[in-house]
Amino acid sequence: MSGDPTSAGEQGGEEIDSPGTGASPSSDLPGPFPVGRYAHRLKEELRKRARVLLIGEVSGVGRSKVQAYFEIRDAGGAVPCAIWITDLERLGLSMETLRDGVQIVVAGGPDYYPGGAHSSPSFSFRVTHVRLAGEGDLLARLAELRRRLEADGLFEPQKRLHRPVLPRTIGVVTAERGAARADVLAGLNRRGWQGTVIWGFAAVQDRHAAPAITAAVQELAARPEVEAIIVCRGGGSLADLWAFCDETLCRTVAMLRVPVISAVGHERDTTLIDDVSALACSTPTHAAEAAVPLDCLAARSSLVGASASLRKSAHRAISERSRSLGGLARGPARALQRERGSLNQLIREIRAAADRGLVDRWLYQRRIGSTVLARVGRRTDEAVAAAVADNRRRAGVIGRSGGAIVTVGQTSLEQFAIALRAHDPERTLERGYALAESPAGEPITGAAGAVEAGRLRLRFSDGSVGVNVEDDLITPSGEDGTDA
Amino acid sequence: MPEAPETAEPKSYESAVERLEQIIERLDSGQAGLRETLALCGEGRDLVSYCAVELGRVGEGLKELRLDELAAEFEQAPAEST
Repeated sequence: MSGDPTSAGEQGGEEIDSPGTGASPSSDLPGPFPVGRYAHRLKEELRKRARVLLIGEVSGVGRSKVQAYFEIRDAGGAVPCAIWITDLERLGLSMETLRDGVQIVVAGGPDYYPGGAHSSPSFSFRVTHVRLAGEGDLLARLAELRRRLEADGLFEPQKRLHRPVLPRTIGVVTAERGAARADVLAGLNRRGWQGTVIWGFAAVQDRHAAPAITAAVQELAARPEVEAIIVCRGGGSLADLWAFCDETLCRTVAMLRVPVISAVGHERDTTLIDDVSALACSTPTHAAEAAVPLDCLAARSSLVGASASLRKSAHRAISERSRSLGGLARGPARALQRERGSLNQLIREIRAAADRGLVDRWLYQRRIGSTVLARVGRRTDEAVAAAVADNRRRAGVIGRSGGAIVTVGQTSLEQFAIALRAHDPERTLERGYALAESPAGEPITGAAGAVEAGRLRLRFSDGSVGVNVEDDLITPSGEDGTDA
Repeated sequence: MPEAPETAEPKSYESAVERLEQIIERLDSGQAGLRETLALCGEGRDLVSYCAVELGRVGEGLKELRLDELAAEFEQAPAEST
């Protein structure tokens, strides 16, 4: 085996140029050579190639600290380019010159970065000179197409569609092996959404991309369970994203009855599908979140809260009212208890008053009895004395037998006793008479006294009543004008 | 069930949530009488159940289908049925 990859490269150039001829590692090819040595040799060989001018459109511009990267492209193909920032500045140009779609002419030759243990190799066309070659055709075509679609009113229909907050099924059109697929799943996962995703995998970059994407979108929209469609792919140059500016695709999307959420390229990229879709997002993750506006995790916990709030309201409404009903129900019992208590108190007071009344009545009757008795006794004494004197006078005058006088005297005494008994006030009351007295308890013996007192108590044998004196004094001659 | 029309199945999750928010706001205001409170609580419970079912449908594990496989099934189905 030869140890020189350079000579191997020269001798076996045919094999290097045509790696697919079916040679196996066990064949008698030169090598194996350490790949690092081969990579460096490749770089040297490429740098020996003639310097040329290329013309094409700029796309996919990026930069590091020291270099600017971009592609120049036409309908037939593309070449990745790199230019040192110092070379760009030497030419009096800025990064702004290298815009997507700008037609440029570059001078330079092929170069190869051999990479290393931890860095990737790369091929590029090393540009040493740049000049502008007029307005980029792609951008001009894009602007024209955008004007036409807008004039046809195709930017609006999707935006008027209702987007459900909680779709059960989502269609996604993207590349089967793209990073966008994982980004969509991450976005859905962030929402806590675990419904059904129908993947409409399609090429997203080559010339077959636009028809494939159009067909996938149409098929997804035709499925009744699909409530939203995401169309997405990662970043790239305008040419990479050109499929998403396809007129047929954009017209199809605009007329769909299912909302389409687009996320094509990075934030700075604007494709026509972004204009016609219901919503344009900057990344596939955002598109997934927009397809499920509801944060399902938060919604679940807020639903628990709503449920608890309802339960509390119902419980509060019932318990408050049952408490007040209970209070009302206890009301009558409490009132009865209160009444019963006051009734008992009254009964006790009445008993005490009745007891007091009996004693008062007894004392009163004794007082009135003694008054009347004293008065009657006095009159009786006077009558007796008069009778005795009279008898004595008669005894002296008549001189008849003392026996007869005694008989007369005894008879008078018996009559006096009868009269005395007749004056017993108790007996008078028992016969139906009533005794009038003042509120102070003094007997009232005349009409004038009654008028003066204003209020009387009439005492009967079985009790007394209060009486108001309403009329003025009426004498037997009827001098007062009031009715009798 | 005099409130039957009120408790009809909501058209969508968002309309259910919107109505639920109205109900809770009304209940929180404390202005609803007993009959209304109980009717609102009943309606609210139905809405919570509806929302829970809807959330449950997107909470039992992500299901991934492929459009090309579904299309193939669709094409096979009529052939099998004949």
